[in-house]
Amino acid sequence: MASSLRAAIISHFRVPASQTLALNGSKLWTVRSMSSHGDDHLDKNQVIDRVLEVVKCHPKIDPSKVTPEVHFQKDLGLDSLDTVEIVMALEEEFKLEIPDKEADKIDSCGLAIEYIYNHPMSS
Amino acid sequence: MAFTMRAVKVPPNSVSLEEARTRTFEFFKSACRSIPTVMEIYNLYDVVTPSQLRSNIAAQFRKNAHITNTKVIDMLLFKGMEELGDVVEHAKQRHHIIGQYVVGHHGLSQDSGTKDEGASDFLKNFYKTNYF
Repeated sequence: MASSLRAAIISHFRVPASQTLALNGSKLWTVRSMSSHGDDHLDKNQVIDRVLEVVKCHPKIDPSKVTPEVHFQKDLGLDSLDTVEIVMALEEEFKLEIPDKEADKIDSCGLAIEYIYNHPMSS
Repeated sequence: MAFTMRAVKVPPNSVSLEEARTRTFEFFKSACRSIPTVMEIYNLYDVVTPSQLRSNIAAQFRKNAHITNTKVIDMLLFKGMEELGDVVEHAKQRHHIIGQYVVGHHGLSQDSGTKDEGASDFLKNFYKTNYF
């Protein structure tokens, strides 16, 4: 009795093979509605704009000197503490936590943009 | 009593100036990373922005930038960590934070006018701030 009922139900719910393939092939990977990250990766120009915005907001920096390639210590005349301050500001802006080893290497706008653009969690 | 029983861990002295320097930057970073928490628990959104707090912290570090004695640096780091711990544990009140880190040493008084030129330094400091 039960098995015949089960068979009847299963046959009722059978899905054509072509439909499942389509689901796996395209739709499933483009829309991940419950995912908190991954698909909303930042555009490079967006990253550049936001990084420059953060750097310009620093009180010691002349905003007209800021370009995407500028070096914090050589070109803008900042000291090491200012550099760390900027890196912290960038962490806050992009909701990242940059480990010390990487943070020490970031000493110019170019490197900061590169790092943040390649970071999977930046948002 | 749990509070006084808590083990107070003191890190060993810095061996070189380089180590003290790394430690200082580490502490600066941890202070910066706790800014959002501080903004939240003392409800500072209407008086200050995170970046103002950050530059204020940096200014306090810079005030001691000339020190080259590792023992003095370690002592200052210890005091700073203690202060940060107090701030983050909510051992302070809102006006402490505003007085020390938002208003800073300039104080609320704008005493650039001529009227208090004759006042003594003691009185000027008295008007200026409680915090030294």
